[in-house]
Amino acid sequence: MSAWTRILAAILFVLLSPILAGLLAGLDRIISARMQSRIGPPLLQPIYDLLKLFQKERIAVNRSGHFFLLGYLLFTILAGIEFFIGGDLLIVIFALALASVFFVLGAFAAGSPYSHIGAERELIQIMASEPMLIMCAMGFYVATGSFQVTTIHAQPTPLIATLPGIFLGMIYILTIKLRKSPFDLSTSHHAHQEIVKGITTEFAGPYLAIIELAHGYETILLLGFLYLFFAPWPLLALAALIAVYFLEILADNTHARLYWQWVLRTSWAFTAIVGAGNLILLHYLQRGGTP
Amino acid sequence: MKQKPLTMTRVALGSLLRKPATVPYPAARKPVYLATRGHIAIEEDKCNLCLICDRRCPTGAIAVDRTGKTWAIDRLRCIQCNHCVDVCPRKCLAMENDYTTPMQMKRSDVVPVPFTPPQPKPKPAAAPAPTSDSPLQAKEERPGERNHEPPDQSSAD
Amino acid sequence: MANRTVIPFGPQHPVLPEPIHLDLVIEDEHVVEAIPSFGFIHRGLEKLVEKKDFTEFTFIAERICGICSYIHGMGYCQAVETVMGLEIPERAKWLRTMWSELSRIHSHMMWLGLLADAFGFENLFMACWRLREGILDVIEETSGGRVIFGAAKVGGCRRDVPDDLLARIPAQLNAVEDELRAITNVFRDDFSVRQRLCGVGLLSRNDAYDLGAVGPMLRASGVAQDSRLDGYAAYDKIAVEPIVEESGDCWGRTMVRIREIYQSFDILRHVLPNVPPGPVDMKITGAPKGEFFARLEQPRGEVIYYVKGNGTKFLDRFRVRTPTFANIPPLLKMLQGCQLADVPVIVLTIDPCISCAER
Ligand code: SF4
Ligand code: SF4
Repeated sequence: MSAWTRILAAILFVLLSPILAGLLAGLDRIISARMQSRIGPPLLQPIYDLLKLFQKERIAVNRSGHFFLLGYLLFTILAGIEFFIGGDLLIVIFALALASVFFVLGAFAAGSPYSHIGAERELIQIMASEPMLIMCAMGFYVATGSFQVTTIHAQPTPLIATLPGIFLGMIYILTIKLRKSPFDLSTSHHAHQEIVKGITTEFAGPYLAIIELAHGYETILLLGFLYLFFAPWPLLALAALIAVYFLEILADNTHARLYWQWVLRTSWAFTAIVGAGNLILLHYLQRGGTP
Repeated sequence: MKQKPLTMTRVALGSLLRKPATVPYPAARKPVYLATRGHIAIEEDKCNLCLICDRRCPTGAIAVDRTGKTWAIDRLRCIQCNHCVDVCPRKCLAMENDYTTPMQMKRSDVVPVPFTPPQPKPKPAAAPAPTSDSPLQAKEERPGERNHEPPDQSSAD
Repeated sequence: MANRTVIPFGPQHPVLPEPIHLDLVIEDEHVVEAIPSFGFIHRGLEKLVEKKDFTEFTFIAERICGICSYIHGMGYCQAVETVMGLEIPERAKWLRTMWSELSRIHSHMMWLGLLADAFGFENLFMACWRLREGILDVIEETSGGRVIFGAAKVGGCRRDVPDDLLARIPAQLNAVEDELRAITNVFRDDFSVRQRLCGVGLLSRNDAYDLGAVGPMLRASGVAQDSRLDGYAAYDKIAVEPIVEESGDCWGRTMVRIREIYQSFDILRHVLPNVPPGPVDMKITGAPKGEFFARLEQPRGEVIYYVKGNGTKFLDRFRVRTPTFANIPPLLKMLQGCQLADVPVIVLTIDPCISCAER
């Protein structure tokens, strides 16, 4: 990639992601509504919501909280840029983790017990999902010999053939990252939760908009991860992404919210079985193929 | 008993394929039934401003003004209990089965009532008893007199 | 030793649309203690009985609660009728029974939805409420109101239901029941639902009895108690078997209510074709003098109405002991030691109606 295409990719990511994520969320809401026998909101509703949030009054519970939120947004965008300009996957994952930590700190900065419990649960969710992300980077490395997104993207055969387990694991943690039932612990798209909106309770107006925005960037970035598994065949990749997202919506609509203990246990178990299992198998296969 | 995963899937996918059960409210409305208690309507020609509905309404939603000759209802206070319909001696109130459009501001619906009270005759012997029409009115003999009274005195009683 | 935090829960809380406040003392995510405070929605309805004509007070009695509204109205009327020594017409008794059972179904279906909402299962919540609309339609067609029936009256019923309509209802009920099966199976079998309900909020048989639990709370802990057995309205001519579960947890209470829905469908199928012809109303003369306790079975449990008349149009005293009030001590007991995530579920399994309890 030349420097110019990189800059172009970065700009496109920053500008288009919110719109894309907004449309995706809109579709998500409509499909969820239909699954619940409702008509649902207009497609552009999430975008209207975001614009409206930005227009609202700025009420500060705690100023340092807002600084942390900016960190959350910034590092999510940086992670995304690094990914879409074809950079290093490890940097992407660490930037993303740092962003989540900023988010948690932001919630801890407010004094509300709901916010605190939400932040604690968010930490647990990070603990549950992070191993799988790292496993994913390792999987790509074992399969392609590189952490560079450009190299992984340029593989002639789709990686799904060699890394099906890792792919499944990524779908699993996508549910956590998208805050869908049964994993909508720290906050939820629905306010009906014992800790109200958990980690986002104390943020309102433009600050909540920042969270939504960062969440949008994160969603696009994670879908980008999944895209890499099908990189040589873009159409198949698109179909796979649609199918995965539909499954997420379906899971959201067919599960109760579960406990954090359960989430942590199962995601680690799942990571260990499908992720590590896939890696070990791949390792032996490669050794057997090319001694 | 056995636990099963994903038991809701069939229902969710079924609903996805079916028509939604909700209606986009102001554009489309749910059908109402014959018995539905929607809103109170008045046939103002029959009303004789007897005040019974005003007094018996449990929430005080109806305000009958004899001087101004109006019958008014505050629809936000009305609880659709149908009591006024039951007690109205002239049977001029009715419970319609459709709902009124939601209001954007609090207000009363005021209906002018064309009723003219029979003038009390000077000679009591010749008086055709208006009592059968409106017992309260005849007893108090107010509407005829009140028109001539200064407003402060009428508010005093 | 973990830090103790106090989490305020209510009176404004999205999962608990009821104005009760609980201070939850939390250690990690375990509730050590729950301290309730009440009185956010006291409306002084009992006092109003001294200001309203005893017949017109029915409207107020019906509005003690928005969900078991009909049974409140009916219980009040029943108490006054007993004080006055009135024997209401047979048809009125059967219609009252019909409306009580319809109330029970719609209340339980609403509750199932709220419970699903409490454990974060939006789709199940919507599904329950969508089916409940079918019952509300029947209620609307027969009484004119969707939740406030406005059909109770001292001396009978305020409106009659035409026979052809009565004959049509069973088909409508069957349609709802068929669809409901798929939903209640989810409550019974689904893995994620069972994770959230089984073994949560245990209440032993003895505790339930000692702390004075009523209704499905009591029956889910293995005590067969149901006031419908007393045979008020037309219940003396219908066999009602109290529905009992032994487990005493949230899942047991859910099962009791689900089975009660089906039981009510059965009762309705028996009641509807048997409503006798005749008047639904009788003329009332005089005023109540004397006192009486009426006991009825609401969807939430046993409710008690106390009425004291002094021979004038205005009663001396009216008192309601609502089931929610009786179920609060067991609730506090169940909350001790539970997880924070379980609090909404446990609070909901008593089917709280704080507006009822505070009147
Ligand atoms: S329906 Fe009831 S509340 Fe409404 S105006 Fe008539 S008496 Fe008053
Ligand atoms: S009770 Fe009937 S006649 Fe009397 S004021 Fe009311 S509407 Fe008019």
